[in-house]
Amino acid sequence: MQNTFIARNPSVLWFLAALGLFTAIVTLMSEATGVGLISTSFVKTLGKTLCLCLIAIAMDVVWGYCGILSLGHFAFFGIGGYAIGMWLMYARTEAIVVPNLMAQTIPPTPQEISDAIGNQIFGVVGSSEFPMIWGFADSLFLQLLMVVLVPGLLALVFGWLAFRSRVTGVYLSILTQAMTLALALYLFQNDSGLRGNNGLSGLQNIPGFEDTPQATISIVFFLASAFALAAGYVFFAWIVSGKMGSVVKGIRDNEARVRFLGYHVESYKLFIFTITAIVAGIAGALYYPQAGIINPGEIAPIASIYLAVWVAIGGRGRLYGAVIGAAFVSLLSSWFTGGGAPPINLGFYTIQWTDWWLVLLGVSFVAVTLFFPKGIGGLFDYLVRKQP
Amino acid sequence: MRYLVLALAVWLGTFVSAQAQTVQDILQVHADEIAKPSRRSVSVALDDLVASGLPQVPVFLEQWSARNVWQRDDGQFFIGDADGDDLALTDIDTGAASFALKSEFTQIRPNGGVRRVIGTALVQFQLSDPDLGRRETAVASIARRPEAAQLAPLLASIEGEPDAALKARKVQLANFLSARFADDPADRIAAINSLSSDTSVEARSVLNQILTTEPGVSASEPEGNIARVLDPMIDPDGFYAQLVEAELAPSRTPPDVIRAALEANVVEGRVGDVPVAQLGTDQMREAAYAQLADAGLVASLVTVSDRDAAIAAHVFFETYDEADPTITAAAEAALASVEQRVAFAQAADLALDGLSLASIYFLAAIGLAITFGVMGVINMAHGEFIMMGAYTGYVVQLFIPDYTLSIIVALPLAFAITFGAGVSMERLVIRHLYHRPLETLLATFGISIALQQLAKNIFGTQARPLTSPGWLDGAWVISDVIQISYIRIAIFILALLFLALILYVLKRTRLGLEVRAVTQNPGMAASMGINPDRINMLTFGLGSGIAGIAGVAIGLYAKVTSEMGTDYIVQSFMTVVVGGVGNVWGTLLGASMIGFLQKGIEWLNPSNTLAAQTYMILFIILFIQFRPKGIIALKGRAAAD
Repeated sequence: MQNTFIARNPSVLWFLAALGLFTAIVTLMSEATGVGLISTSFVKTLGKTLCLCLIAIAMDVVWGYCGILSLGHFAFFGIGGYAIGMWLMYARTEAIVVPNLMAQTIPPTPQEISDAIGNQIFGVVGSSEFPMIWGFADSLFLQLLMVVLVPGLLALVFGWLAFRSRVTGVYLSILTQAMTLALALYLFQNDSGLRGNNGLSGLQNIPGFEDTPQATISIVFFLASAFALAAGYVFFAWIVSGKMGSVVKGIRDNEARVRFLGYHVESYKLFIFTITAIVAGIAGALYYPQAGIINPGEIAPIASIYLAVWVAIGGRGRLYGAVIGAAFVSLLSSWFTGGGAPPINLGFYTIQWTDWWLVLLGVSFVAVTLFFPKGIGGLFDYLVRKQP
Repeated sequence: MRYLVLALAVWLGTFVSAQAQTVQDILQVHADEIAKPSRRSVSVALDDLVASGLPQVPVFLEQWSARNVWQRDDGQFFIGDADGDDLALTDIDTGAASFALKSEFTQIRPNGGVRRVIGTALVQFQLSDPDLGRRETAVASIARRPEAAQLAPLLASIEGEPDAALKARKVQLANFLSARFADDPADRIAAINSLSSDTSVEARSVLNQILTTEPGVSASEPEGNIARVLDPMIDPDGFYAQLVEAELAPSRTPPDVIRAALEANVVEGRVGDVPVAQLGTDQMREAAYAQLADAGLVASLVTVSDRDAAIAAHVFFETYDEADPTITAAAEAALASVEQRVAFAQAADLALDGLSLASIYFLAAIGLAITFGVMGVINMAHGEFIMMGAYTGYVVQLFIPDYTLSIIVALPLAFAITFGAGVSMERLVIRHLYHRPLETLLATFGISIALQQLAKNIFGTQARPLTSPGWLDGAWVISDVIQISYIRIAIFILALLFLALILYVLKRTRLGLEVRAVTQNPGMAASMGINPDRINMLTFGLGSGIAGIAGVAIGLYAKVTSEMGTDYIVQSFMTVVVGGVGNVWGTLLGASMIGFLQKGIEWLNPSNTLAAQTYMILFIILFIQFRPKGIIALKGRAAAD
């Protein structure tokens, strides 16, 4: 079975080899090993990029393989981030607050501890009480479970409602976009229980590892992201290459025909939608401790659209395409907007890339859709096939 | 001779008594109160002055209030105008002018409180002043600060009021005053009853002022005009605090006080016989505190059961400040009736708001609906066409300073520009993607981010104004509750115009016929000799052009920014999806539904517009479950996809 799976997916080995090599090089060059050729902040950027690649694969499976253009997968990504962020924030505040309280003459009551932590966390939104949804915030295990369960359940319910009533195509895209917009607007409120537009912050400090330097923590998260990406890649490659993969691709190409053949199309779609949402949640849970802060702006509809842009530029229907697209566009984007690109002087006008990058991205996106529907990954295919 | 002497004496007597009635004489009687006036003492003097009915009194009062009255060393009062060391004097009674040295005089300086009392006394003179402006000022000052004493002069002045509008206002105001201050309860009740159909803010505040209450607590049956008896168990801590304030119960010991008391009484690592390490629960803390209380170190603890017993032993109630129960009952009834009317008016106001929001959504979405219906293409750049229209309006105003003219120029220009943009976009991009609708969505999104950033590069990030002409400023005020701004009315009319125009184009012209044919079945339409390419291009241009016009309309009341399109694009999509594709009436229904729904949810939860939007989107997601193809769904083959 393993043999045939690899045989069916030669790209998996190539991908794992490339990812392994890349990870090894970055780890060796990082500040954690003392070489320091790659700065800690750049290691974090690379780690975040790996998480984006992971959600891009999920997006590729749901869109490129199953034909559902979801404009809401970043909502699941954000939920994963919030779920882990709640624990990180709670545990870290507890670690700071409790010793203070313990140092006083009289030991604190559980209520006093909870008030003090709540005051620290929710002071910015003028509250000190823990909302219901923070009920499990003191347990890492339960919050990790939330990372998987909440996006999964949300996707399950939403997908069940949508697929059951045969909402397809553009309608479904708009509906998923509405979902992520509703979630973002909800989180923007101060009484949502998640600190409104302040979001959760200080997530880069891992409770229990206060004395470990960020260089080490960043490498650990980088490796974890790389591992998650590798596992996600293998998992999705396995899903889309078997019999189920054939059905899913059939749904993409002609849903009515697959239904006529006796397959329960809705179940397949629901499975793909939910499983990708869960992976998106995991990607988010790895991403935000590296980013350090999460706020509702992160899950605004535009983020999910960018996700689709990455996958389209990378090339749909091939997992490595999604990885290439996400890595290429997001790194390029941070290079351009970070002022890395030199301005071009036209004599009468100087092109500042921070201003013009989005124009370039938009136009190149149109160009890719028009002229290279297979994206960068398609180029890859072309080169591979040319070789004997 | 005797008769003559007698007659002279009588004549003199009358003369003297007449002389005694000058303003100066009255002032001399109350010299101390006038020279050093205080709010309480001055009223006696004022009453005498007013009662004398002398024509000089109002002049004197005004001058007094303006601090122009001076007292000579011998006690005589004059109206004076200081000029350096000199003082231009005017006799209060005769008006005779003279000059004197300032050093012989003391200026009378009534303080703010006294001047208000003087002002009240003056009002009754001003109410009958020949000058209309002064009468209006007096009426306004009564309205601002109604007092019992003003009722009689106000009633007296109504009869002789020549100005009809002011007379009506006086009658209304007298009614408000008698509702609150009339001596006869029957008069008050009549006045109160007449207010029961008045929804103005003023009338409601009159009723509310009659119905002001004070919280009270007593151990026995309460006395007085009781408004209501309260159930203390809804908020035991709050009511107990009321008991504490009334000194009917000892104050409770909050946790931090307990904590402080315990901290202060730690002896050898113990409080009482409880080790400090065990004080980590409320229970143990209270036990330790009870020991301290037993030892007499702290006041004893009021437990929850003590609190409840204390609350149960008392009656909590609210009394009306007004003692007469018949009057408060009448006012309650009147207020209930007013509030019912206000609720109706608010519903009407809400409906107007919903209507105006619906017309905005309609304008924003109708272009999208046409292109989506005809071509099955979602144009993510639609919001940016709205933005282009708004910026067109802004640029036109830079060149044409006259706002009315600039709007008249901007509307067709915005249509032309966005029509052009739409047509070129269709030709360059969308034409090649007809078989891949999802990719159109992404390609148009690429155009959208490029256009947005371009606008940001050209016009900057700050909001640009699009000023509406002066005749669109202000609002149409129907009552205190119902009002709507003229801009919103204008947008409503614009939306109606476009509804009519689009219906006409679609139903009555050749182009419309062809558009409908292509909508229903492009292949069949093509075989009938219609060129679908041309129709697609024109429809796309038309849809984009309407977006441009919507942009000008939206820009008039919202700020023009490069991101304004994104604010409307999702709502526009919702409108189209809810309404059903390819049908003008569907879009109209969808826009109305979303507009009214949004206003309705905002009304239920006015503090939080973000939550309103969240709930609305959730509602739409659920709505799609039941009508996946919208309110008005296409039937037959065209509906297949």
